Amino acid sequence: MRQLEIALIGAGLIARMHLEAWIGAGASVRVHSLDGRAAELAAEFGAKAVDSLAEALDGADAVDICSPTGTHRDIALAAIAKNVAVVCEKPLAADVTEAEEIVGAAERAGVPVYPAHDIRFAPAFARLHELVAEGRLGAGTVARFTVAGYHPRPWTGHASVESGGILTDQMLHGVDIAYWLFGDVVRVHAHYQGEIAAPAPQGTAAVGTAVLTHASGALSQVVSRWTPTPQPPIRVTYHVSGTGGTIVHDSEWPQEIQVSGGPAGTFGYYGESPFSSEIREFAQALRGGPEPRLVSHDALAAVRITQAAARSAWTGRAVELPVKGAAA
Amino acid sequence: MKVAVLSFAHERAATYAQLLHDMPDVELLVADPDGAAEDPARGSATARRLGARYVGSWDELFALRPDAVVVTSEVDRRRELVERAAGAGAQVLCEHPPAVDEADARAMVRACEDAGVRLSFASPACFGPAFAAVRKEITEGEVLGGLTAVHGAYNRPRPAGAEAARSGALGTNAPPVFDMVDAVLGGIPAEQVYAQSNSVLGAEPGVESAALVTVRYADGTVVSVDCSWGPADSGPAVGGPALTFIGERASVEFTAAPRLLGGFDAATSRERWGTRGDDPYAVMLGEFVAAVRQGSGAGPDGAAALRTLRIIQAARASARTGQPVELAVPVTVQP
Repeated sequence: MRQLEIALIGAGLIARMHLEAWIGAGASVRVHSLDGRAAELAAEFGAKAVDSLAEALDGADAVDICSPTGTHRDIALAAIAKNVAVVCEKPLAADVTEAEEIVGAAERAGVPVYPAHDIRFAPAFARLHELVAEGRLGAGTVARFTVAGYHPRPWTGHASVESGGILTDQMLHGVDIAYWLFGDVVRVHAHYQGEIAAPAPQGTAAVGTAVLTHASGALSQVVSRWTPTPQPPIRVTYHVSGTGGTIVHDSEWPQEIQVSGGPAGTFGYYGESPFSSEIREFAQALRGGPEPRLVSHDALAAVRITQAAARSAWTGRAVELPVKGAAA
Repeated sequence: MKVAVLSFAHERAATYAQLLHDMPDVELLVADPDGAAEDPARGSATARRLGARYVGSWDELFALRPDAVVVTSEVDRRRELVERAAGAGAQVLCEHPPAVDEADARAMVRACEDAGVRLSFASPACFGPAFAAVRKEITEGEVLGGLTAVHGAYNRPRPAGAEAARSGALGTNAPPVFDMVDAVLGGIPAEQVYAQSNSVLGAEPGVESAALVTVRYADGTVVSVDCSWGPADSGPAVGGPALTFIGERASVEFTAAPRLLGGFDAATSRERWGTRGDDPYAVMLGEFVAAVRQGSGAGPDGAAALRTLRIIQAARASARTGQPVELAVPVTVQP
């Protein structure tokens, strides 16, 4: 089978994880970035660096956009114009208009867009969705999601408080899972606290508290938090209820390997990286396999909901979201 | 690759057949010519359900030259089947125990060595990447320091099959645990075995339902484990063994099937318990088939199974007498 050719745009933390996953999925990757780090990253993984976006897109099967959010639209539209499929790190775009432009252009051109919402590939969330899809939760009633983590470097992009700032990025995880489980969201209310405008230094603390009302009547609460220190490590929890019972998870529950005592630098086992599962699923789809578990409309929905949350936090009002086909 | 499931006497034979059938590059053969008095068509029915080839006699089966076989017969038929598989050049994955009698087990190991086939044992907890990480860490000793003691439990409920149930909690629950310890210790033999048991939970008098076993190994490592049957409806919460390895500097707890999801399941009115989702039997068969293809070995080998068998027999003797049993330095199996 012909090797997939991937144009990876960006050379930061996410680009590195995606590059490793693409190599693991058997793809050939050319890396392009505007920050001068592409050559070093490419060399580390035996990929090649190229000097321009046009060169990167030339003959590529897909572009994988891991550059800052503000650049996503132009790169995605350039790829779509050349009939190159789009894989894009979350969020798909900085605002709803840009996200709609990408999705609209892709639809017209018949080019697939696969948004990289890696949390859907984390085992606890993948299993949760399987159970719900199998009907084991019954009709969804209420769900609560929390994420608390430390951002390992300063935020260099520009984002206003009004846009949701640094919370938009993390909030998207819980919002995406709520939408994946319970479907369309018709009303959003949120509070955003902390120094959320970007650029922001490493160690900036912020909390987002959102309530989503789904078209089905189900309700979701998402509490999303950037912590000021690396310890305690990232923690993720959920509690999902339905007529068939509850499903709960806490990333602090011990898994296969737990070390106590001893020196720093202990070991563990967490299964396959979600990035590897995600990129493998996208690679299979690009080779003509089944459609991956999330496509352009999921990315658009996530941007619409997180932007509604930002607007609610800014205005102090609940924000109504129109849903196609829903009664007015 | 042709892989044959030999007999459906063991409760997991049908599971193995299904998993092997699901592997894209495996041609499944099924043979159960000895059948069962109460269900003589169990093997052919399973083969028909899977759309796999059913073979009506052992002669016919081995004439088809399978690349590998899974031995899931009654215990007293295992020696004959393993020897025939070795004679046919097939790699073997065998259920525990290899035999009732140590002499039979030795003969099986020797037959496979003579034929140059790898004899492996079905201890699912010994397979998989998480246990491999523990083994590696203990071998390197950087975090834990030297291993001093191991404690833990495997509390799988009493099995449904009559033969397995008659072998007691030591027969059903001790082999996976001692295979794991053997893998971590790299085959260092046991020196002294002490065990206590009772049959409070058991339906059959004289068949132990609870057992605690303490073993001192030749390098001084002390291992004490609970091999009792769990409550009949304890469900997946006891899906696999859990062992704590205590080193000179730190300890590590290994749980073969930890909880990933919890909650309440209204359909069963019970607590929910979900694991990461990798079925341990699928992982085991996947590694076994991969090893057959590469001509390498996976999981506990015949010598390891012999060491485990000696420990379990000594544990039974100790439980009878109330005193520890000293094990002689084992004789290496010679061709």
